[in-house]
Amino acid sequence: MSYFRITLLRSGIGLTKRTQGVLKALGLRHRMTTVFYPVTPEVAGQIMRVKELVSVEEVEKPLTKAEVKAERTPEPGFYLEKAAPR
Amino acid sequence: MFGAFRPTNALSGGLLWKIPWRLSKFQKARQRKRLRAVDSVVATLDKALAKQSITTKAVERWKGEMPVEQEMVPKDKYTIFDRKEKKYRKSIRSEHPPELVGARNYTDWVLELPKWTRVSQRINPPGY
Repeated sequence: MSYFRITLLRSGIGLTKRTQGVLKALGLRHRMTTVFYPVTPEVAGQIMRVKELVSVEEVEKPLTKAEVKAERTPEPGFYLEKAAPR
Repeated sequence: MFGAFRPTNALSGGLLWKIPWRLSKFQKARQRKRLRAVDSVVATLDKALAKQSITTKAVERWKGEMPVEQEMVPKDKYTIFDRKEKKYRKSIRSEHPPELVGARNYTDWVLELPKWTRVSQRINPPGY
């Protein structure tokens, strides 16, 4: 079972209600939102409607919201030292 | 009609915003990039569906009808058909003057292909 990883790159502002409705149905409310859907003809058809606005990848497993956030968070640039054992 | 005080757009409206219709090489490069991005989305969909041996009407139709970026001639990438134009072609980002399209503001020029960076416009009438 593989999944589509869909990221909204360009906003749907000013486009037709139909296009904006598809974005809403896919749960893409803001730019750079990432959602995961199983590979089905229904989802493929929805992506075709908004293909100019999104980037799509095929992945094996869907990530949770926290995992997507962790992917995007840069390294903090520091680390905490632990007290040396006496 | 003629002379120093003829009623041109700039004089009667005060401020006139017009953007050059000709695309710069950078705009053309970005246009090609957008075309390729759409191609890659369709290719990904096709590949994923083919693995499960599913065919979808929307994807099949796009593949049958639409050329990919590399197959397109420059004319189709950067210009659109217009029957009123001298050589039947206009730049993809040319604008209608406000008085022709009944715009609210006299200074608003209206794009002939609104949202042209977010819509697909690949094929034109055959022969033109």
